[in-house]
Amino acid sequence: MKASKTKAASLFMIGTLLVAAGCSDRLDFDRSNSFDVPSKKDLTPVTITFASGDNNPLWDDMQSEVGKLITEKTGISIKAQFPGNDTDTDMFARMVASNEYPDMVSAKVSVGKLKDAGALIDLTPLIDAHAPNIKKLYGEYMKRLRWSNDDHGIYVLPTAPVNQTYFKAGSGFELQHAVLKELGYPQIKTVKDFEHALKTYYNKHKTTADGQPIIPLSLNGGEWQFLISVTNPAVAATGASDDGEFYIDQDTYEAKLHYLRPEEKEYFRWLNHMHDIGLLDPESFVQKVGQYRAKIASGRVLGLIDADWDFAGEVAALKKEGKIDQTYAHFPVTLNESFKRHDFQSTGYLAGIGISITKSAKDPVRIIQFLDYLASDEGQVLVNWGIEGKHYKVENGTRVIPEDISKMKFNDNWNFRKTTGVDMYRFGPSYGDGVKDPTGNYYTPVFPEQIQKEYTQEDRETLAAYKVKSYKDLWPSEKEFTVKPWGSAWTINMETGSEANIIFQQCEAIVKKRITQAILSKPEQFDAIWDDFMKELEKAGVEKLNEAYTKLVKDRVKLWNE
Amino acid sequence: MKSLTAATPEAGSTLKRNRFWIKAFQQRYLYMMSLPFVVWIFVFSYVPIWGWLTAFQNYKPKDSILDQEWVGFDNFIELFQDERFYLVLRNTLAMSTMGLLVGFTVPVIFALLLNEMKGQFFKRSVQTISYLPHFVSWVVVAGLVYKMLSTDGGAVNQLLMWLNIIDQPIQFMAKGNLFWGIVTASDLWKEVGWNSIIFLAAMAGIDPELYEASTVDGAGRFRKMWHITLPGIRTTFMVLFILSIGHLISIGFEKQFLLGNPLVSDYSEVSDLYALKYGIQMSRYSYGTAIGIVNSIVSILLVFIANGIYKRVTKETVI
Repeated sequence: MKASKTKAASLFMIGTLLVAAGCSDRLDFDRSNSFDVPSKKDLTPVTITFASGDNNPLWDDMQSEVGKLITEKTGISIKAQFPGNDTDTDMFARMVASNEYPDMVSAKVSVGKLKDAGALIDLTPLIDAHAPNIKKLYGEYMKRLRWSNDDHGIYVLPTAPVNQTYFKAGSGFELQHAVLKELGYPQIKTVKDFEHALKTYYNKHKTTADGQPIIPLSLNGGEWQFLISVTNPAVAATGASDDGEFYIDQDTYEAKLHYLRPEEKEYFRWLNHMHDIGLLDPESFVQKVGQYRAKIASGRVLGLIDADWDFAGEVAALKKEGKIDQTYAHFPVTLNESFKRHDFQSTGYLAGIGISITKSAKDPVRIIQFLDYLASDEGQVLVNWGIEGKHYKVENGTRVIPEDISKMKFNDNWNFRKTTGVDMYRFGPSYGDGVKDPTGNYYTPVFPEQIQKEYTQEDRETLAAYKVKSYKDLWPSEKEFTVKPWGSAWTINMETGSEANIIFQQCEAIVKKRITQAILSKPEQFDAIWDDFMKELEKAGVEKLNEAYTKLVKDRVKLWNE
Repeated sequence: MKSLTAATPEAGSTLKRNRFWIKAFQQRYLYMMSLPFVVWIFVFSYVPIWGWLTAFQNYKPKDSILDQEWVGFDNFIELFQDERFYLVLRNTLAMSTMGLLVGFTVPVIFALLLNEMKGQFFKRSVQTISYLPHFVSWVVVAGLVYKMLSTDGGAVNQLLMWLNIIDQPIQFMAKGNLFWGIVTASDLWKEVGWNSIIFLAAMAGIDPELYEASTVDGAGRFRKMWHITLPGIRTTFMVLFILSIGHLISIGFEKQFLLGNPLVSDYSEVSDLYALKYGIQMSRYSYGTAIGIVNSIVSILLVFIANGIYKRVTKETVI
């Protein structure tokens, strides 16, 4: 899912987030004021340049079916730039250094740097004058788009879907269907249950049918996904909500680095135990992402602790090879039964990462109108479903995806997206899953009935065994939790180069090194390493960091709710 | 008598000046050939030095360089107070020193052995094969190193276990104390062939008569290598060696970035990586520039010290 991908990338770069409370650029403001309101939309062909912080190896240069139709409807074509082998932060840092920008950017966590450099224009007057669909789409959440308490300008149109209902459970702990089937679909609620299932199966099976050595559990810990596969699960398994590297007290809004929670120490002690008994892949913290994914794609890894978007390509490869029993079921595993998973606790609308228009844009009105078209009912259905009659049909007033399209979509997803353009253009404002359009249909093809249609035979058998219709039903419902007034802290920026930011960067380096050491050490050394870890964080100034971040959280609560 | 004595020095100095210009004129084509490279160095190495101004400012890209807040030596003070700076400096110097020692001795030995080959076909084949890795990017080489050293079917572990030297695979990439060795060895593998070419060329330039004369004096193959071949390439070796010392602190970070991981970060962080992470990536351009200046000063000092030592020992000079 797009939202998860954006979230994940943000987690890695949280240390470089920044916020500047500078005044709006007077020139930009004056320029905005001088725009005339055109009596009808301008469809003159225009090419705009766009830099995306996310790589998109499937980018179609708007030559896909949907892409061509968008160009036909708006007159806009896009020349896109991606990080490639670079990182997005490096790409944007070079733009700032050279003071040269494309027309449009999805700067992700670098947006603060661009704002600080005066690169972004305030979109408020453009939205008021030229973007009725965008206004309607964000609705009551428009105030969450404001930059800060000191600067109410809007510089980013967040890509987080509005009024999103999460039907898919993409995270949690994963086990291969083959394991569950052989063990008779045991209860998988705690880390002990998870461990027991892996151990029992692994004792009987040391190699796959292809003759390759089986790996009971492998973590994606060699690169930035360390946050997703190693440290975030510690938060989730101990009953806290995902706020990036911080834990926020619900009542007082006090923030602290989540590693300081004593419950999480016990989670890492469990990982240490898993390593000690030989169930944890010793290469977990050394392997690069490519190696990790190659293991999954070969069907050798029995269990994962990761987000599904991180290994979706490999699951697709397994399906293509017919190894459906080596794909994964998802479980809301906790450290013990006293904890409750908070994955689906509501954040309200999670403004943050999104798309911006820069001062380099020659015609910002055309660009905002383009984004407004994509935010219209017609545009949303087009980018999410595709073209009527081609990628979906309307039967008895209901949008349905024909069987052959559905098969292509799920068995050959990359080629499908590349040729059709479906899911390619969700880089602006969008309605969330579960929101209905005026015809009574969903804006997106992610809704309960469709998700159930996508399940493999193995999924169905597993779900039937646990007496649920979807994996999400295994998780506590969002109704059991209050809404978080700060949204999610991983979207809160620290000022670049500030003392808190520097301390944060230092703490992140300590965390990565020490947690890895703690997990791979002998069990009897775990406590000593953990104590050293805590002392190092203290020495680095973690108390100051927590204090500074607490203030940012409180500012966020004020900005978004008053 | 007096007038004759007075005239002599004056005439001498005039003669010297004329000789320089005559020589310069005679060598005018050599000067013209080297001119583009002098210009290139000047434009890309000396002209940008005005940017060092930012190290004394709290630089923000939105303003002109002359409209910044001046902070004096604050960035340098902060740098020297950061204990990580000394850690990355240690790592940088350790890896580059190891690389320097191995990177000069092994190519010389390799060139020496190749030079002794009589069969031209074999010699050329080995030479060609050995320098090809130079053209492969570090991304690919890092992938190869990972695969070779992996606990999961890696060739090194398979071999060691097959020989019964170990009974459990060793996770080489997770051991910090091995990181410097792994980097040095992989760089050696990649560059030894390429670096030996210049030494082979220097050996080819040695007068064959020296070898013939030594044969008459009864010298065998090894004595010829020791007394003729090695002394013959000494000048080439020392020029390259001393200039390489200037690069001890600016070895780049590609190898360390690609081969490093959280477990070995105490050993894999180098100064360029430090400047990237704590300078540019955090929008602290001034701090990054300060790091660069310190690196440059250290490099210059190293070259002059090395040249000074060489001069004192041999009476020759490179610079």
